[in-house]
Amino acid sequence: MNRLLLTLATSLLVQGGLCASTQVPEQRLKTAVDEVLAQAKSSSNPDELAGRLGPVLQKYLSFEAMTRRAVGPGWRQFSPSQKKEAAKLFTILIIRTYSSKFTPGMNPEILFKKAATPAPGRVEVPTTILYQGSKYGVTYRMEESEGWKITDVVIEGVSLVANYRTQFDSEFKKGGAEAVVGSLTQTVDQRK
Amino acid sequence: MKLQTSYLALLTGIVTASLLIGCAAKKETPPTASASVGHKTSDGKSVKSGDDDLEEYGVLLIPDPLEPLNRATFTLNHGIYVILLRPISKGYTTVVPKLVRTGVHNAYENVKFPIRFVNNTLQGKFDRAGLETGKFLVNSVVGIGGLGRPSDHIPALADIPAGNTGQTFAKWGIPHGAYLVLPVLGPSSVRDTVGLAGDYALNPVSWVTILFGGYAWTLAIPSVNTLRSLPVQMDIYDAATKDAIDPYVAARSAYVQFREEDAAK
Repeated sequence: MNRLLLTLATSLLVQGGLCASTQVPEQRLKTAVDEVLAQAKSSSNPDELAGRLGPVLQKYLSFEAMTRRAVGPGWRQFSPSQKKEAAKLFTILIIRTYSSKFTPGMNPEILFKKAATPAPGRVEVPTTILYQGSKYGVTYRMEESEGWKITDVVIEGVSLVANYRTQFDSEFKKGGAEAVVGSLTQTVDQRK
Repeated sequence: MKLQTSYLALLTGIVTASLLIGCAAKKETPPTASASVGHKTSDGKSVKSGDDDLEEYGVLLIPDPLEPLNRATFTLNHGIYVILLRPISKGYTTVVPKLVRTGVHNAYENVKFPIRFVNNTLQGKFDRAGLETGKFLVNSVVGIGGLGRPSDHIPALADIPAGNTGQTFAKWGIPHGAYLVLPVLGPSSVRDTVGLAGDYALNPVSWVTILFGGYAWTLAIPSVNTLRSLPVQMDIYDAATKDAIDPYVAARSAYVQFREEDAAK
């Protein structure tokens, strides 16, 4: 009898803990990382790798939020078509940037560390990548909206979004939305 | 009694099930407006959601009064990297087997122990200074002069954040000063340039040149040091500037973020 009461109390505690925990996004991130690594391992050249990673990243990254935040307050002055164009181009750029961090055929070891919850609906998962004797710290920022999505990748303290934020800012100051979209088009076309 | 027990068991089941459903249902709901209240991420940026998230990332600034000169140096460095250093780096990784490269890399990192020890001590991180000493001893003795890195297999020694002089200055509250692009070495600041000088003085590799300068063989030691660090340097440069809208601004922003993270360690 007492044992059953204890079981009841424990189950309440455990369930309560699970709800508040970061298990769901962490699991989601692990699935995403596994998929990315599987593609990296089986690709034989960088172009093939980038082509294969595109659809994977589309599933797990929130490109719309990333574009908006990388542009910053100037986003309000973008016309709907400029917003669409900017998001489309920035998506290509992020996929490229992210893919270039992987070498085809590589098989690194990834250690997931304790996740933090900076705000409700937000999780930050620090990871360590061990590759060829070197260690890299990579933190994934995730947010919950229609499921958990990655909104930023921070490599050795350098945030992908923040890095573009500074660059877009100087473009925006030069010539507003048009300059931002123009610079994006130019950068994307550079390596076609 | 038996009846009561089964009731309780049933109750436990129901409570568990309802909690699970509640749990699952909660995950489906989109974030509410309450999430738009300001919060802080681990790096202190304020967090908002919805339409107000446009100011989530601030523009990272470092005073850059020398921008025209820095841009010129940056362009020059880019040329040096592409024409000279990248081919050398490629040659080194092609000609020298990976096992040897790893050994050489480990040995040079191991011998940099005074940089880490002195700076941890100057920052009052005595526990880390102690751990670094242990790591240095283990790797020098068991790892045969630091060629191997057996400390990786000792949890306490596997992950000690490396101290450096620029970091010490940051801890002491000395600001960056102006942004500086150094010839060949790349992004730096006034503070970190002085820090580099400190690291140079604390690195036994430079002691060899200072003590035995004039003998041709001493040139080999810093030269190999440059060689072994090239592939990593090239990787960092590429990662920061590839696919950049403006590579100069991208490298500057990456530099500031990287140093902030380093100072927080």
